[in-house]
Amino acid sequence: MTSLACQSLDVSIGGKDICSKLNLALEPGQFWGLLGPNGIGKTTLLKCMAGLSPPDSGNVLLENQGIENLPRRVVARLLGMLQQHTVYVFDASVLETAMTGRHPHLAYWEREGPKDKQKALDAIRAVDLAGFESRSVTGLSGGEARRLAFASLIVQEPAILLLDEPTNHLDMKHQIRIMNQVKGQVIDENRSAMIALHDVNLAARYCTHIVMLLGKGDWQAGPVLELLDRENLERLYQCPVEVVQTSSGRRFLPGS
Amino acid sequence: MIPTSLRRSLLFILLLLSVSSVLFASASGSVTLGWSDWLAAVQDPNSRYGELIWRLRLPRAMAAWVVGSMLAMSGCLMQVLLRNPLADPYVLGVSGGAAFATLLGMVFGIAAGFLPWLAILGALVSILIVFGLARGTGPWSGTRLLLTGVVTASGWAALISLILSLSPDNSLRGMLFWLMGDLSYATLPSWSLFVLVGSFILTLGLARSLNVLAMGETTARLLGEPTHRMLWLVYLLASVLTATAVSIAGSIGFVGLIVPHLMRLLVGSDHRILIPAATLFGGVFLVFSDTLARTVLSPQQLPVGVITALLGVPLFLLLLNRARLKGV
Repeated sequence: MTSLACQSLDVSIGGKDICSKLNLALEPGQFWGLLGPNGIGKTTLLKCMAGLSPPDSGNVLLENQGIENLPRRVVARLLGMLQQHTVYVFDASVLETAMTGRHPHLAYWEREGPKDKQKALDAIRAVDLAGFESRSVTGLSGGEARRLAFASLIVQEPAILLLDEPTNHLDMKHQIRIMNQVKGQVIDENRSAMIALHDVNLAARYCTHIVMLLGKGDWQAGPVLELLDRENLERLYQCPVEVVQTSSGRRFLPGS
Repeated sequence: MIPTSLRRSLLFILLLLSVSSVLFASASGSVTLGWSDWLAAVQDPNSRYGELIWRLRLPRAMAAWVVGSMLAMSGCLMQVLLRNPLADPYVLGVSGGAAFATLLGMVFGIAAGFLPWLAILGALVSILIVFGLARGTGPWSGTRLLLTGVVTASGWAALISLILSLSPDNSLRGMLFWLMGDLSYATLPSWSLFVLVGSFILTLGLARSLNVLAMGETTARLLGEPTHRMLWLVYLLASVLTATAVSIAGSIGFVGLIVPHLMRLLVGSDHRILIPAATLFGGVFLVFSDTLARTVLSPQQLPVGVITALLGVPLFLLLLNRARLKGV
């Protein structure tokens, strides 16, 4: 089973520490939420975990091997990441773009077969873009482009999914839809995911584990029930938080 | 965009157009040949017009086709490299280096046969300068490559102006023709065919990777591309194609911009179909333009670069306006 582990990982950006000596492991079946205020370095940490930028020290291990030593093709078959921004410059159809997720699985001269196409069509339906297959990506709205990028990620079929604020630009229905799909990937396919979020309640509802970036390199990581409480959230966001008990568990509101 | 099912037929049509454009070019010119004269000349190189066709017009039409397809392919590659649908093969200064070296050769009276080699040499120097300066040690940076290339191109332009202003009047005309792009003295060296076929096969093999690279460096890496290596390979391929084209016929403008752009509108941005379509149509477009250049003011010949620009500018503005209306 594929796992992604951070071993005493130091990451910083522009002289600002994001995390120091971070230890955690994404195991199959785990759904991690990455929480932290704006500009704390969530994206940089995710990029480092995807092997896109090197850490200051420590290791990111993909299947027990240093991610920087693995060919990108091998990494791409195991790990996929949804970036925060998706900008399509060149004209291509929605179907073609979803199908790019098959790229790491195909050989040099190979073309996508009927199976690949079916996977792309299924993913397009799953993100509620059915009927858009032949539409041009340059004409999509922000939310539609996000959902298409997510569809490409599903088509890529990585065992580890890193998602950078996938719910940005999405309305409530599509936020829930995407979270349900990530949860489906984690539970039904026995994959693991880490998702950067600003909505604490989505994290409370869906995630099994949480990592909080507190600034100055401090962090906290653990199961969601242990970590997600009023004290920790007030410390994390530097603002008063109110806890509400609902039928589906604790929820958090900005307090006064 | 035309439907996917028709895209293969389009390639077939472009192939037919390529052959017929070359044949048509061989029949037209200052002396326009009728069907029977043309057939006789093609069958017998020693007939009345045989030499005209076999020694002059066909080689020139073939050269035009090869140069046009190289520029179009290079344009497609540059557009992926700089992730900008408006990039062209000359934007990074390859042609500037070639032009400077060639003009210098002309000033010193070097035999015409050696000028293409000087052009290649100049282009290589330019490629090495830009490559060396933009590469540095850091990660791939499209912006740095673009800036280095554009500034290098300006440097070459200044040197070219210097040479032109110091040159005697009687050699200015030849130099200007060359600068505008001219196929009058073009010969097609056999190695250029290897360059064309080799880069075509390589580019076609990379086509799916080009699709991914066009989505941005980070996306491409996440989809398994070793982007650093790939983008330098794309840069080198595009540069070699441009250098070869420029060494044959000077800096013919607009082919590398207009042709990929038009083909994108027709077949979309899947490079597995865009690359062959642009390569074929680039050839057709330049053969057609060169035929116009030879016949419009016949017997006076125009540099083909004037024709491609005169056709290219309005076409481009039209497309741009169309894109604006679509809200892009």
